[in-house]
Amino acid sequence: MKQDISSLMDGELDGPEADRTIRSCCASEDHKDTWNLYHAIGEAIRGQAPRTLERRAGVMEAIATQPTVLAPRTPVLETALGRFALAAAASVATIGVVSWIGLQGGAPGAPSPVVAKGTPAPIAIQPVSATTRMPAAQPSIDVQDYLTAHRQIPSPEAYRPVVNRGAAAGAR
Amino acid sequence: MSVLACRGGSRWLPAVALGIACSAQANPLGSDPYAWLKRAADSARATTYAGTFVHTNGDRTSTFRITHVKMGDDEHERIEPLDGPPHEIVRRNDEMFCYFPDAKTVRLDRRITARFFPSILRSSPQAIAASYDVKLGKPERILGHECQWIRLEPKDALRFPQRLCSEVNTGLVLRAKTFNGERQVIEQYTFTEVRLGPQVAKAADVRSTFEARVKQWHTDKQPREEAKSVDTGWTITNPPAGFQKVTEIKRTMPGRSLPVSQIVLSDGLASVSVFVEANAAPARTIEASTEDGTTTFFVRPMGEHLVTVLGEVPLATAQQVGRSVTRRP
Repeated sequence: MKQDISSLMDGELDGPEADRTIRSCCASEDHKDTWNLYHAIGEAIRGQAPRTLERRAGVMEAIATQPTVLAPRTPVLETALGRFALAAAASVATIGVVSWIGLQGGAPGAPSPVVAKGTPAPIAIQPVSATTRMPAAQPSIDVQDYLTAHRQIPSPEAYRPVVNRGAAAGAR
Repeated sequence: MSVLACRGGSRWLPAVALGIACSAQANPLGSDPYAWLKRAADSARATTYAGTFVHTNGDRTSTFRITHVKMGDDEHERIEPLDGPPHEIVRRNDEMFCYFPDAKTVRLDRRITARFFPSILRSSPQAIAASYDVKLGKPERILGHECQWIRLEPKDALRFPQRLCSEVNTGLVLRAKTFNGERQVIEQYTFTEVRLGPQVAKAADVRSTFEARVKQWHTDKQPREEAKSVDTGWTITNPPAGFQKVTEIKRTMPGRSLPVSQIVLSDGLASVSVFVEANAAPARTIEASTEDGTTTFFVRPMGEHLVTVLGEVPLATAQQVGRSVTRRP
């Protein structure tokens, strides 16, 4: 059911499936909690102030024990470059969740980081727990630069006149 | 079975039993896979052809129009990518002239790692045979032409299996496929329309079509200047079996104040570029990798430097290359 709720939030379910999930979601307190929890996590990742969690205190325990977080709604990027950006962004998103958890616990939390390369909140499937040590955010890499150099791709999109053109002209 | 069927005296029995037409045996090349491979390589350089081909690698698909003419000892080729903003590549042997009409720029480069279908075999069959078992597959009719599949089976897991479909009269490769370890096609080149023979194109057909449209072209010679071999100061101490250094150069890359060292390795079929540059702040501290189609990308921080490997090889190969970069003594 949690998977269904997550898929519903991601807009991945079609009409009948969505209908069934909404019905079952509204019929169970547990499922409503899951719905709220996922939205709260998604909002935290997107840098919005999390909604007040009004269901019950057990939600915080659920966060602590939650093995998997599915952050919502992203068209999955389609290229190798995109996938790489995705992997980089996923670690950033994880940190977002962790700092949000810190914030909820009363500790001063870092502002939610901006996700690399202007991507909307990526799908982040990462084990999350308040005690896990996360690696520092890694600088994003433009794979396209290396691909262009390796393939010697003469594509107009990839074509960027080099900076030190003066030096090149002097070398002629 | 059809491979066996094409060999020696037993050729007709299994062929007939399986109902497989065995066109290879009728060809003067017979059933020698190396002869087929050599002719496929030669044909891409030394014959005249024109057509349209589609290249699919991972999620990316692109379509190109190609005209290739043999003039004297030189091969002349014009390639027009049909997707994206208009541009074209005119190639004379390994010299590349890339015309960008919107930027009014012609960029000069020298072919090192650039791949041009159907000219995908750049080494001798002997060099390729050191890392791949070469076998004949079945015959197939493609685009109205009788073709013979040539199978390149890697001798280890350090490279991808490939299949080339060679037209039986000229040897030209009309379709090429690369597979991963799970035998799924991860890259494919295929003509969708092709014309063969000296009558299909002449010298005028391999000149730039954009050249006359722009009065004043800017010439960017930097890529060609940077394609000259230099001593980068870096070496690959433990290259994967069969991979040898092709060249080492220093390239200017966008957003970097210093040139990036690039070492190119090849096993005769697949190539790998190793880039070494300063690990600029904010420095990367962990390894990362990604794979799409045949393109594998691996990045590894190495103290003050950053090593990046990109090539048409499995991840293990890219990792082995990336982890054996050292300062030249």
